[in-house]
Amino acid sequence: MATKIKKGILYLALILLAVTCMVPFLLMLVNATRSGREIMTSFTLIPGDSLKDNWDAVFGFFNLFRGLWNSFKIAVPATILSSYFSALTAYALTVYKFKGKNVIFYTIVIFMMIPGQLSLIGFYNLISGMKLIDSYVPLIIPAIASPGTVFFLKQYLESVLPTALLEAARIDGAKEIGIFHKIVFPIMVPGVATMAIGSFIGNWNSYLIPLLLLNSPKKFTLPVMIASLNASKDIGTNQGAIYMALAVSIVPILIVFCFCSKYIISSISAGSVKE
Amino acid sequence: MKLKKLTALLLAGVMTFSLAACSNSDSGASSPETSQDSGSSSAEESEPSESSGASESADAGESADLSGKLTIWTLAADLEQFADKFVEENPNVETEVVVIAPGDYPTKVETALLGGDDSVDIIVGEPKMLQSMYDAEFFANLDDFGAKDYEGQIVDYVWQVGQDDEGIQRAISYQITPIGFYYRRDIADKVFGYSDPESIGKLFADYDTIIETGKTLKDAGYRIFASDAETQHFKGQSSWVIDGTLNVDPHRYEFMDLAVELYKEDLTAYAQQWTAPWYQAMSGPVPILNAEIQGGVWDTDENGDPLLNVWDADNFNANVENYSDETAEVFAFGLPAWGVLTLRDNVGDTAGKWGVCAGPAYGYDGGTYIGISDQSKNKDLAWEFVKFCTLNEATADWWIEASQGDTVSLVSALEKHAEDGNETYGGQQLYKFWLEQAKGINLSNVTEYDTAIDAAWSNAITAVKTGEKTKDEAIEGFYDEVAATYPDLTINRE
Repeated sequence: MATKIKKGILYLALILLAVTCMVPFLLMLVNATRSGREIMTSFTLIPGDSLKDNWDAVFGFFNLFRGLWNSFKIAVPATILSSYFSALTAYALTVYKFKGKNVIFYTIVIFMMIPGQLSLIGFYNLISGMKLIDSYVPLIIPAIASPGTVFFLKQYLESVLPTALLEAARIDGAKEIGIFHKIVFPIMVPGVATMAIGSFIGNWNSYLIPLLLLNSPKKFTLPVMIASLNASKDIGTNQGAIYMALAVSIVPILIVFCFCSKYIISSISAGSVKE
Repeated sequence: MKLKKLTALLLAGVMTFSLAACSNSDSGASSPETSQDSGSSSAEESEPSESSGASESADAGESADLSGKLTIWTLAADLEQFADKFVEENPNVETEVVVIAPGDYPTKVETALLGGDDSVDIIVGEPKMLQSMYDAEFFANLDDFGAKDYEGQIVDYVWQVGQDDEGIQRAISYQITPIGFYYRRDIADKVFGYSDPESIGKLFADYDTIIETGKTLKDAGYRIFASDAETQHFKGQSSWVIDGTLNVDPHRYEFMDLAVELYKEDLTAYAQQWTAPWYQAMSGPVPILNAEIQGGVWDTDENGDPLLNVWDADNFNANVENYSDETAEVFAFGLPAWGVLTLRDNVGDTAGKWGVCAGPAYGYDGGTYIGISDQSKNKDLAWEFVKFCTLNEATADWWIEASQGDTVSLVSALEKHAEDGNETYGGQQLYKFWLEQAKGINLSNVTEYDTAIDAAWSNAITAVKTGEKTKDEAIEGFYDEVAATYPDLTINRE
């Protein structure tokens, strides 16, 4: 009986938590179907009938699918690059012993603490000097250097990689890069996936740097496009359109999350049980 | 130990490297400046022939064959429509309009133009951004293109706002934004027995009369304003600084008393401007929150979040019953000319029952000013575009139609449409009205100190009305704040 009550309380708490998490999303979806005026003046969870109007309003300003495609073109390569190169770096820092290894590691840790906004104008000048304004290159390539990911993966590798595995591979005649690709990387996949989700969401939602670096509307990423909906004289009338665009913009994040979430769970529990 | 040394060395290396990078970018930035100088001087040389050709074509009503590509960075989506229209009439021109959220617009323009970006041709600004944009020399000198020839065709105050401190024309707006009171004719008929703008204007003639009007309306079960910010635009045009001395006009104290009394006497509906109940008040009755709740005594839930959030329509409507069971209809809104469109979209069933009248003072708020980027390589075409948006009567006619009631700045167009009635406002001739209001605006008292001193003064007003400070304490605090911001000003404390 006591356990039943305990369980009941637990379920109640969890349901409450789930509702708190879901309601804002639900509201966003509902508001996407209501007109700006309705959103400004009343509250309901019953969908309205302005879905078509909001859709047309959004597409009157820009092509939402182009924005999705543009964000996709930046977020996916940036995520792949940052995952692969961070894994490579973390592997080297964990396994090999070489001069200055600690210096490199501490430098990475220090750079992890410097916020990116600090170097914004310098970064703009650099990119403008390289004639790369209005190009995706400066949005993708810098992702190779992601100190946070390296730091996390290094800690992760230290806990999951047995050195005996590497020695066995070497005895069998595997090349060093081959060991990384064939043996170490598959072991790291849960950790990499965890960081990849974070990096994908970060790149997908990134606003300030694309806003500053991209000049042609054709190349705008989704967040920059959505923000431009606020530029109308009377913000109220566009409210429904903004919700509409936001609702569409979270779809890829949901997909990526569904795809990677099993890795997150396995990576969080990894290391707790020794084989 | 060795590690520490190495780390120190590395950090030092990073720092010197970044310093070197800075100096590099400095020299990099100075070179486009010099080249751009030579560019603008060559533009000046070729200018006379260009401008005379352009004005001829403008006179003919048809533009000459223009071609090229214009890049327009704007914070108002309006310019997209202008650009499309421009292309329609000049098929050889290509335009690229970049709409940027207003909050991020100054960041985007500053970063790009300080970084030497020459890809943008047309930049815009709102009056409060213009001063710093003039100081940073982002705008090209429009007088080089013959802007002086058009003086008098645009409403005077707009022309002056577009000038920098030396009187050089930098930007021109296609709209005027004088202020007025929007009021409910049906309520006026019931309470006062008349509703024509002339007579209602007398009810707003000065601050004391506004209080009287507010009390009459309250006794009749209405509220004069939804928020006490409705009077903010009517704070008068006296100068804050005269000959290096802070000048607090007696008018300023009267304005403070007005704001405080509106609040303390429960004359408003205690909505905040641009919040959900404020919009609601345009179409019908709203719940009245009392002064205590507005003063910030909110109940909070277990997470410390307020139970009633006026910025969130959903939350507000769900919870407001816990705070107020009284509702009332609201009589008037104080907004600039663009409020015509805000009300049109929000009045709902009360459409046609509104009117617009003058307030106790002249003034203006907002407006999009169009100028040419000083680093543009395409200034002649850009000037054609600026002229097309602001100085072309055909465009003005078209814009009045397309925007359904925006107020243009071209005097001839305003005069031509002076007799047009607006249905939302009971057929009132709004263009005539706004033109008269715009003529009263006096910019000779505008100083560089205004933004900061205005903010300090309204802080003082808020402190008095919420009872946080007495009037004397608040004014003393105002002096302190101004003295700290501008140590060079002489302040005679009274």
